[in-house]
Amino acid sequence: MKGVGEVKPVRSSLNIRRRNIWTGWSFILLSVVMIFIFYFYPMLQALIMSFQTGTGSNLEFTGLSNYQRLFDDNMFITAVTNTFIYLLVQVPVMILLALFISVLLNDSKLKFKGFFRTAIFLPCVTSLVAYSVVFKYLFAGDGLVNTLLLKLQLIDAPIGWITDPFWAKITIIIAITWRWTGYNMIFYLSALQNIDVSIYEAARIDGASAPRQFFGITVPLLKPIILFTSITSTIGTLQLFDEVMNITKGGPGNATLTISQYIYNLSFKYSADFGYAATVSYSIVIMIVLLSFLQFKVAGDKNG
Amino acid sequence: MKKSLMLVLVCMLLLTACGASSNKNNNAASGNTAKAKEITIWAWDPAFNIAALEVAKAEYAKTNPDVKINIVEYAQNDIIQKLNTGLNSGTTKGLPNIVLIEDYRAQGFLQSYKDSFMDLSGSIKGTDFADYKSGPTSLDGKQYGVPFDSGVTGLYVRTDYLEQAGYKLADLQDIDWKQYIEIGKKVKETTGKALITLDPNDLGLIRMMIQSAGSWYLTEDGKTPNISNNEALKQAFEIYKGLTDSNVANVHSDWSQFVAALNSGAVASVPTGNWITPSIMAEASQSGKWGIAPLPTLPGNGDSVHASNLGGSSWYVMNVDGKETAADFMATTFGSNAEMYQKLLTDIGVIGTFKAASSGKAYSQASEFFGGQKTVSDFAAWTEQIPSVNYGIHTYAIEDILIVEMQNYLNGKAIDKVLGDAQAQAESQIK
Repeated sequence: MKGVGEVKPVRSSLNIRRRNIWTGWSFILLSVVMIFIFYFYPMLQALIMSFQTGTGSNLEFTGLSNYQRLFDDNMFITAVTNTFIYLLVQVPVMILLALFISVLLNDSKLKFKGFFRTAIFLPCVTSLVAYSVVFKYLFAGDGLVNTLLLKLQLIDAPIGWITDPFWAKITIIIAITWRWTGYNMIFYLSALQNIDVSIYEAARIDGASAPRQFFGITVPLLKPIILFTSITSTIGTLQLFDEVMNITKGGPGNATLTISQYIYNLSFKYSADFGYAATVSYSIVIMIVLLSFLQFKVAGDKNG
Repeated sequence: MKKSLMLVLVCMLLLTACGASSNKNNNAASGNTAKAKEITIWAWDPAFNIAALEVAKAEYAKTNPDVKINIVEYAQNDIIQKLNTGLNSGTTKGLPNIVLIEDYRAQGFLQSYKDSFMDLSGSIKGTDFADYKSGPTSLDGKQYGVPFDSGVTGLYVRTDYLEQAGYKLADLQDIDWKQYIEIGKKVKETTGKALITLDPNDLGLIRMMIQSAGSWYLTEDGKTPNISNNEALKQAFEIYKGLTDSNVANVHSDWSQFVAALNSGAVASVPTGNWITPSIMAEASQSGKWGIAPLPTLPGNGDSVHASNLGGSSWYVMNVDGKETAADFMATTFGSNAEMYQKLLTDIGVIGTFKAASSGKAYSQASEFFGGQKTVSDFAAWTEQIPSVNYGIHTYAIEDILIVEMQNYLNGKAIDKVLGDAQAQAESQIK
């Protein structure tokens, strides 16, 4: 009797566990199937395609030739260089700016907090294409920005914001900074709410200056969030497309071309080379994996 | 628990099955309607191509009242994307019966998606159209496209600015690009206006110049890059640099700024395709101040003529259900109806490439806006002189390489090195 009594609960708990597993799976089964069909299957297909070359539907397997082609493709190298210039200049500027603004807006004595927060967050709810088009007109040769600068006598001749290779890059950087700073600021703001006020009080009693508090308390405590935002910003910048497509079309002379736009050009502007375009997109995948790994190593927790 | 779960799963299966079957029904229905004479056409530019289609649709309805024709307007880039993705996925669902394709891209589509376009050799004759159109619209001796928009170029000039600088329209009848620059310097001196407006991202001017000499970025086979030894291309580059060096060029960065430069009176001339006419005429206050001269030639180049092409597009029938109706529509309207071309010209300003149409009386009308000039008959005459070249399938890929090298050249890199580097890059790019 004793033995049977011991076995029975085990069997029924097994049953319950099995049933629970099935119930659990049945809830997510649909999503899992969908993810496989609409995410993993296309990714696999793209990988297979990246080993094929040819125009349109005349594709044939050519092994690694597309991956070799990447290394002596000047246009690809230009696109990667441009993208990394955006990455190295824009992401740090934006993150510092977002941190700075969020600390200002977190001040308990500040009035109209809600208004400022909304105002700074607002750019990132605008449509990518719409704001790009507006920027194109603002920064045109006879656009508002040049007119203002000329009126204020800060410049003698209109700046070629879109037609000069150097200034075109600056225009793109200004545009994406305007669009995304508020987005990152929101993350910092919410993280700042979680920092105990008493830490700052203690620091103030100890005589720490405001910059000292910022670098000594705020930045270290926000480190996980900074890591998160820098990784998402890195991924976003590596996939940069809308702004460049709409403001400069990659010009002048490929000076603002990004990797994503190069993929678009290979697929649709040139003669439909989908195989090579897939290879270039996989190069972005590889870069994102490497960069995220690097950022984790540099900024992540030692034990994490 | 289990039962209800099964029920949910079964329901889901049924739902998806229903979805699938209703899809099938739809397909069958659309297949039937295609046979029951309903066709769909994709094109861009409502003021030009779509308007021309409407005329053709009305014309076709006279003899075939039971055929329903759906005209769908998309931007050209959207059409290219939809065609590429549709054809590449191997499903013809959702593709139109007739599509408008730019001549520079036509061979790319014809060669990349063989059998996706219908051979029209039986319904239209390629020789009925301007000769230079046969390159883009035919493949392996078969006629696939119905040649349409001519894209013939001219030199649009502000005659009032010219007169201030001491020139008349007649002085521009037989000039080369060097003389053009010289005139521009004089115009700039006296009026302060730029001679021309350039977009550093668009080498349309180079395309016009080299085609006027019967040359292209690729050799006759349409495959081998023809850059480093291309005399016409070299001269075109030199003229382009001459324009920027002599400070007679305005810079713009997109279409709306381009048109604004013309309409505001900031530039004295624009060498471009005849499709610019409606945009120039949009500024009514400038009526009588414009004239059109033949395109200048490349200096010292014996092959270069006073006529060239920029842009231009043609109609293609897709190999899907309803193609017979679509081919018939094309053959009886754009393919043979000379009378309709008169209407296209007077109502919309379309200069077609159908040879028989150019003798009609609409073609010899004088334009008040252009100072009483018979612009259309001029354009029609130039259309006949346009040298035929093989655009191949890589026009835009090579152009992106050349745009970069052009910037290097303007910044002082030697011309032979510029073209040599571009050649090497094009060879590695095009495989």
